[in-house]
Amino acid sequence: MSLKPARSGDPACSLCGEPAVIHQRHAGRHLCGTHLIADIEQRVSETIASRQQIVPGDCVTVALSGGKDSTALLLLLHRIFGSRKDIRLVAVTVDEGISGYREATIRSAEDLVKRLGVEHITVSFWEVFGDSLDTLLKGRETQACSICGILRKKALVVGAEQAGATKLATGHNLDDEAQSVLMNVLRGDLTRLVRDSGADSGGRFIPRIKPLMYIQEKEIATYLMVQGVWSDLPECPYAIHALRREVRSMLSAIEYQHPGTMLRLMENKKVVGTAFLGKTAGEPVGTCRECGDPCSGELCQLCQLRHSFLR
Amino acid sequence: MKLILPDRSIRAIDPGPATVEAILEKEGINPLEVMVSRDGKLVTEDTVVSGDDELRVIRISHGG
Repeated sequence: MSLKPARSGDPACSLCGEPAVIHQRHAGRHLCGTHLIADIEQRVSETIASRQQIVPGDCVTVALSGGKDSTALLLLLHRIFGSRKDIRLVAVTVDEGISGYREATIRSAEDLVKRLGVEHITVSFWEVFGDSLDTLLKGRETQACSICGILRKKALVVGAEQAGATKLATGHNLDDEAQSVLMNVLRGDLTRLVRDSGADSGGRFIPRIKPLMYIQEKEIATYLMVQGVWSDLPECPYAIHALRREVRSMLSAIEYQHPGTMLRLMENKKVVGTAFLGKTAGEPVGTCRECGDPCSGELCQLCQLRHSFLR
Repeated sequence: MKLILPDRSIRAIDPGPATVEAILEKEGINPLEVMVSRDGKLVTEDTVVSGDDELRVIRISHGG
């Protein structure tokens, strides 16, 4: 897709007058491809710096599914830190075993790490849980996202530990984060609402960081498109069962009519988190009595799943 | 005008000069959930299109 314009009279970049490729309604401006790339790289760098997500000496594992968000994340981190000797990047891909879906994104992930020259580890559900997600989910398809979320988290940690990681970076974008805020409100789950998975864990678990947390999904897609690295990959077939799908559609419509809604939800989360600091559980404080992993109850979510159906 | 939708179906439409936003709205598509190209070049939703333009609507797949 060309960075060059279309025609006179078309919306122009607010910074240079070149034809615009995106209308940033929350910021009240248009940007051309070149300035969109610069803008996203600057905002991601600021998020990383202000939240101290990555510091000298870190080994950062990047959860790389091969989809758009993780592809953008690895590209950005490689661009920002690729030449740094004091920071190591390792991509981790989880193969859940989702037939007809995961094969294409894994190929995309493999192509990307090869092109960038980034270390790559692949962890499969077969290795960690003894079976594919497709098999594990039989008869439980409506719970797919909850179950897969728990299993994926564990598989990523296995990969991160193999790499010797000090941080685990995921490609969650602003839309994902704002949806999570709203879903936790709808569920009345205050603990999850205020949880900060990037907090210093005192070495109990690998902190998770989300450098794209203030970048909209459409900005990410356009960022990839203008660099010629956009791939029209399929969506996970299980996503149709998720509450998130309904929340996503609703929130996206509200954001379009009322730009800045998603950012305001994130701000609200911060305010609530500050107000409740110490009054509700943040990150897990206990230890699972069966596997020893950090958790907030007696049994971690994975062990609860194991009891219900895993071998 | 030729309109190519995310499911690759092709429609001939004649909205006169109209914004991309108006065309998407008529199709029930939220502009935040798609990218749109005109004759192979990305355009914003407030771009006015007309005549023989070829519009392609690219769905932004979620996740990943």
